[in-house]
Amino acid sequence: MRRSGSHVFVSAMLTVLLVLAGCSGGTNPASPGDGQNGGQTGSPGGSAGGGSSGGGAEQVTLSMHSWRVEDAEGYKKIIQAFEAENPGIKIDFKPFKATEYNTILNTALQSDSGPDVLQLRPYAPGISLAEAGHLEPLDQLPGIQNFSKDVLAAATGKDGKVYGVPLSLNSTQIYYNKRLFEQNGLKEPKSWDELIAVAKTLKDKGIVPFAFGAKEGWLLSLSHGVIAPGAYNGNAFVSKILNGEADFTSPEFVKSIQRAQELIPYFPENFVGLDLNDTRTMFFTEKAAMFINGSFELEGLQKMNPDLPLDFFPMPTDDGKAVLTTWVDGSYAVNAKSKHKQEALKFLEFMASKKFGELFANQFKRISAIPGVVTSDPLVNKMAELSASSSTPYLMVVHFAEGNPTTKQTLENSLQGMYLNKLTPEQVSQEVQKSAAIWFPRFKK
Amino acid sequence: MGVPERQQIQPKRKAKPRWLLHLFPLPALILYTLFVIYPILSAFTYSMYEWKGIARGAFVGLQNFLTLFQVEPFNKLFWNAFGHNVIYFLVEMVVQNGIAFVLAFLIYRKIRGAGFLKAAYFMPRLLSVIVVGFLWKLILNPNYGALNTLLGKLGLEEWAKPWLGDPDTALLAIILVNCWFGIGFAVLIFLAGLQSIPEELIEAARLDGAKGLTMLSRIILPLVMPSLTIMTIFTFIQAFEAFELVYAMQGSMGEPFHSTDTLAVYFYRLAFSGSGGAGDVSIGLGSALAVVLFFIVASVSALSLKAMRKREVQH
Repeated sequence: MRRSGSHVFVSAMLTVLLVLAGCSGGTNPASPGDGQNGGQTGSPGGSAGGGSSGGGAEQVTLSMHSWRVEDAEGYKKIIQAFEAENPGIKIDFKPFKATEYNTILNTALQSDSGPDVLQLRPYAPGISLAEAGHLEPLDQLPGIQNFSKDVLAAATGKDGKVYGVPLSLNSTQIYYNKRLFEQNGLKEPKSWDELIAVAKTLKDKGIVPFAFGAKEGWLLSLSHGVIAPGAYNGNAFVSKILNGEADFTSPEFVKSIQRAQELIPYFPENFVGLDLNDTRTMFFTEKAAMFINGSFELEGLQKMNPDLPLDFFPMPTDDGKAVLTTWVDGSYAVNAKSKHKQEALKFLEFMASKKFGELFANQFKRISAIPGVVTSDPLVNKMAELSASSSTPYLMVVHFAEGNPTTKQTLENSLQGMYLNKLTPEQVSQEVQKSAAIWFPRFKK
Repeated sequence: MGVPERQQIQPKRKAKPRWLLHLFPLPALILYTLFVIYPILSAFTYSMYEWKGIARGAFVGLQNFLTLFQVEPFNKLFWNAFGHNVIYFLVEMVVQNGIAFVLAFLIYRKIRGAGFLKAAYFMPRLLSVIVVGFLWKLILNPNYGALNTLLGKLGLEEWAKPWLGDPDTALLAIILVNCWFGIGFAVLIFLAGLQSIPEELIEAARLDGAKGLTMLSRIILPLVMPSLTIMTIFTFIQAFEAFELVYAMQGSMGEPFHSTDTLAVYFYRLAFSGSGGAGDVSIGLGSALAVVLFFIVASVSALSLKAMRKREVQH
């Protein structure tokens, strides 16, 4: 390779590039001001762009983005139901890979090429889009008043306005194998001590009590989210911590982490090296009796082993109740710069209706966020009922998924440390507190 | 295009302008600048801005770098990951390149089946890193993996471990998988170096009475120094940019308990955030880390190249 000749060229190219880089930087900070073009909603004359000469009404195609690639087929059916009622509107459902969705959506919104209707991440990450002025407020949307305030909180901005129609709820609970329980004369535990007793009996009989692995951090905060409300009695402590009257070093929270540690003897061998696949397989092949996981695992479990005698119980609390840990899994929002806002709002109105809720819940076996929706699956119904009657938020997702690394990630990593005998429960709680103190307003001093 | 063929064939002795020559590297140069130089330069600029999600904020100078090195937990994570990169490099040098040299030497001495062995050693390299990661995850699975099953069959149950779940073994397990993956390439490089030693030199040394270890250390090693230099620098770059295998086997958190975190994985987490797209992204911090990584790799590579070139013997 002889380089001397091309030196001039390289330096020339570099200069050009520097100039280019400068330019692209200059155009970047795009106009947050022109988000308020309120008046343009009147009929968008030729902009519909359709060559399809319909009978009378003009055809409008709404674009819709989501991160649920696996749901594309199901959405097709739901969208058909809407299109049948609204012949003038077509919906183009376009899902993206979940891990890339945020980037794709953010880029599109910033370059004003965003979709008309978009699926919104729950809580802080989604709300930040509203705060950047990308979303249309939905307080006046018919049907929005039916949702409870807790549910709407997933898409409510700091200005108090609602920016999304909640789609579904997730719940986490302890699934159990009814057959294994019956064979060993066990019943759903009603307290922590009973839960430990159940686990002990199973272990003595040679059955793995909990299909649990510590290799994937997110499953650690998830299972802690199930166990913890039992230790700190659910919502009473949640409101205390949100008001700053308690923090993560409070004895109730430390106890919740101690309980996560107390379960170690009832985990499978080598649990620190097991991931979700391993533990899920253990559970549906009936080698393990209990499985702490989310409502989103239900469909998969039933598919992998249709004969699995599956049930679940909510977490018994120390004050004699039982709670189900829940959070909102995404909402749907309207792009503030959509050219077809009227039509998009109409579609969202449909998404807030009970009819949609039933279609959705039956299609995906998920808990609809719309109150009173009943499905054909008894377990989904049980989850829906419990999440209406006795739910407690998944604290780390709903309130502490901020910071860098997030407080949730800090908990996950520290719990992993605890399961590897590197940290004590007290140290875990201190790490979590340290992380939250950086950004959580009530903890800042 | 439209020129009739005959005209083109006609020999034209007229001297073409020399500058035209410089146009030939242009296509490659454009691609290179677009996909290598431009991203590097933009990372430099990005690292000096404040970022809100993917929206660029104010110019903050070196603030991101200061955060990276002075604020907990960023500094702790940086040095933790840096240490792992160093271990990565050392283990690969000793295990991967050490074994590769021995293998290359054996093939060079024309043991039976040399051609087959050469292909066999290179085989893993043909697999995608994701496949390699997945494969070894299965092999190393604590409860049904082939390795622990084998240990059990041999009566060594107490040696069985959750290899990837135990922070004491996880990093080493990944590095060794990487050695398995990379050994074929190292063998090829060393073999090429060995085979380029002129036969006469070896003959002459032999006549002078050199044999065995003397031959290896005094004659052969200095002569294959160029391949050793290249391989060392390759290994260094590769070790400091280690990402794919860690990501494929342990995810973006460098699990368990950050025991397999490397600078590149840490960068990925900072810039694009960890699991499922949730959580804050910090392009500023991520870019700052990328710049630091760039300087580490570039400066150490350049310095060691210079130092090692001196020890090479020309023939």
